[in-house]
Amino acid sequence: MLAFIIRRVGQSLLVLMIVGLVAFSMFRFVGDPIDNMLGQERTIEDVERLRGQLGLDQPFVVQYYRFLEGAVQGNFGVSYRQGRPVADIIFERAPATLELAAVSGILAVLFGIGLGVFTAIRRDGIAANVIMATSLIGVSLPTFLIGILLIYLFSVELGWLPSFGRGETVRLGGWWTTGFLTESGLRALILPSITLGLYQMTLIMRLVRSEMLEVLRQDYIRFARARGIRERVVNFRHALKNTMVPVVTVIGLQLGSIIAFAIITETVFQWPGVGLLFINAIQFVDIPVMAAYLMLISVMFVGINLLVDILYVFIDPRLRIDSSGGK
Amino acid sequence: MRRSIAALVLATAALPLEAEEFTWAETTDPQTMDPHAVNSTPVLGFLNNVYEGLVRRGKDMGIEPALATSWEPIGEGEGWRFTLREGVSFHDGAAFDADDVIFSYERAASEAADTRSWFAPVAEVVKVDDHTVDFLTTAPNPIFPGSIANWMMMDSGWAEANGAARPDKENGNFATLNANGTGAFKLTTREPGLRTVLEPFAGWWDEAEHNLTRAELTPIQNPATALAALLSGDVDFINPVPIQDVARLQANPDVKVIQGIEARVIMLGFPHEAEALQYSADVEGENPFADARVRRAVAHAINVPAILQTIMRGNAEPANQLVSPAMDGFTEGLEGYAYDPDAARALLAEAGYPEGFGFGLKCPNDRYLNDEAVCQAITGMLAQVGLRATLDAMPVQNYWPELRADNFDMYLLGWSPGTFDAEHPIRFLAATPNDEKKLGSWNFGGYSNARVDALLPEIQSTIDAGARQAMLDEVARTLADEVAYVPLYVQPLVWGVRSNVELTQRPDNFFLLRWVTLD
Repeated sequence: MLAFIIRRVGQSLLVLMIVGLVAFSMFRFVGDPIDNMLGQERTIEDVERLRGQLGLDQPFVVQYYRFLEGAVQGNFGVSYRQGRPVADIIFERAPATLELAAVSGILAVLFGIGLGVFTAIRRDGIAANVIMATSLIGVSLPTFLIGILLIYLFSVELGWLPSFGRGETVRLGGWWTTGFLTESGLRALILPSITLGLYQMTLIMRLVRSEMLEVLRQDYIRFARARGIRERVVNFRHALKNTMVPVVTVIGLQLGSIIAFAIITETVFQWPGVGLLFINAIQFVDIPVMAAYLMLISVMFVGINLLVDILYVFIDPRLRIDSSGGK
Repeated sequence: MRRSIAALVLATAALPLEAEEFTWAETTDPQTMDPHAVNSTPVLGFLNNVYEGLVRRGKDMGIEPALATSWEPIGEGEGWRFTLREGVSFHDGAAFDADDVIFSYERAASEAADTRSWFAPVAEVVKVDDHTVDFLTTAPNPIFPGSIANWMMMDSGWAEANGAARPDKENGNFATLNANGTGAFKLTTREPGLRTVLEPFAGWWDEAEHNLTRAELTPIQNPATALAALLSGDVDFINPVPIQDVARLQANPDVKVIQGIEARVIMLGFPHEAEALQYSADVEGENPFADARVRRAVAHAINVPAILQTIMRGNAEPANQLVSPAMDGFTEGLEGYAYDPDAARALLAEAGYPEGFGFGLKCPNDRYLNDEAVCQAITGMLAQVGLRATLDAMPVQNYWPELRADNFDMYLLGWSPGTFDAEHPIRFLAATPNDEKKLGSWNFGGYSNARVDALLPEIQSTIDAGARQAMLDEVARTLADEVAYVPLYVQPLVWGVRSNVELTQRPDNFFLLRWVTLD
């Protein structure tokens, strides 16, 4: 068992290293940060001096090695654009992304499961069909278009909600800032979290619906009905509970993508999170910020997968026997 | 400290309604609050609200007294003597005097400063008394006072106490996030990339023309989001407005569009020095663009008014030289090359290319307004006379390295003279590249003309305005005759504001809060 975990952790580290290597080999194609850093009146000499100073004249493998050397000591370098430590900047921006992702995730789960059950039970009803048809929008329209449409409707035309930003935030503890405690912060959360959560909501809803339809056909549901158990109990206690295993797996995996795909939503709503930071970093070729962000996201995904792998072993004894038997 | 700032922000937000709070959005967040660290429009434009120089530019770009009340040449062009304004204090209460000027000079001219090149003509700065400073120049320098309008004064005591005696762009320091100027507004909150809040400075030496009680800058990168923010009233001002949305905004009574022309001239450049074209399928081992007749043919083949009408929706003006008419030293009466495809074909035939030839056109796609669309239009127009351009458009961070590596047969360039003087583009674009003398650093094509090179130092050191203008005119005529570049148009400036806002637009694209009034 321990050997299995150690092996999995080892594999995860290898994946991280390779992600970093690929990322660093790509940075040269993003462009040259030097011209952004020096003004119009720079000389060729200034350009070369700065390039040497930043180590950009080195092969990417050397640059990558230097990054890793710093990263293992918790030092992710200094942003080219802001001239501040990357770790500080990411800590500053992380709460915005995490709060947005949390609200979107909760919305997606609540509405996804609720609507999924509803459309499964009333599969021939008008409301269920309307919901199913509209849910196609959630899967097929690109996020930025949904965001722009929401802004246009609720900010420009109706004037109910702010069109961008995070509103007023309150500082909690050392570095966490929250928008949950002010009215403007809560209002600012509504449109971006709908935009970000819509796809996941649709996905969960469709998954729950099909799983429910599957389960509702099972014999034990028929017997339960035959026994005269109330419809609500049949639907929620017996049917829904048994659809949860695949749904929970998918929700877990989607958690990572909510954070990673917040990039687009954050750009549309000028939401000051890490995704927007990353987009700005690409435009400026701010290599330390890009590298730290990509590593952070891959650590997150690798971590989630590692956790899922380990959990499976605990849940499913067959895997455990196989893995130790294979040794 | 952090907590008290947050409390201050909350307190400010809760002010009564008559407070004139102003919010604006720009595409780029100023990357630092240090006035000497980065020489770029977003940084200098923003910091002009907080810091001040010895002189400043007025609404019409004219030079006027700021922290210096007067200035006069010393002797026969040995330098300039500035008399400092008395009774000026910094936002933290410290008094402004000659020591701060000396300190700011040392800081802004240091290795680590982006503004160092402004002081290339300066040999020494001497404190005469507490309110008089002499700038001794290596050669007579008539435009020196105007060239330091964006050189901002920092308090020596404040900078030294906070460990910011020199700018540090790479690692940042106290002055990267904090500011202490003498200007009309003081910095109260700085959250990079998020919001920057300014409040009027009660102790400002000048009389306030604005009626603001608070101003907040938020960067919004996505143009559609910025537009929505303006239309919904979440912000009072956005810069820029996408050209294609101008007509829509003009139809809306709640907002207005303020248009003007920027100082930036957009032009085409050529590989003057190259032995051969790099991206041609049919011309090998020769460089047709080395022939002035071919370059002239290019100038005749491009229908600039049509480009402006369609792509810029009539918001820009054609250019016939490297500077716009708003700049000092502009050459009057210069004839541009009119659109004349027949003349272009004749010139090509004369040069030995009756069938034209193929080549590669390099173009940025996110640097200038609608740059890629302009290049596409140019490609189509050149094809009409047989000049078959293959367009290669790319983001600006990939673009400059390509130009530096001479990977082009023709390229698009925009130039905005930092000094607002016609000498500036000559120094950077027309002078023969020379690293040692720091000349021609943006002359990617290696254009070289001995007469231009000889006139440049003369222009830089001639005090007599008439003689200086005559030399500038000669250079402008030479560059036009030889078609060193093909100037296309002066880039438009399009701002969008709520209709209750009055403000002043300057061709340097600086937005100054001291001229903003809210109804």
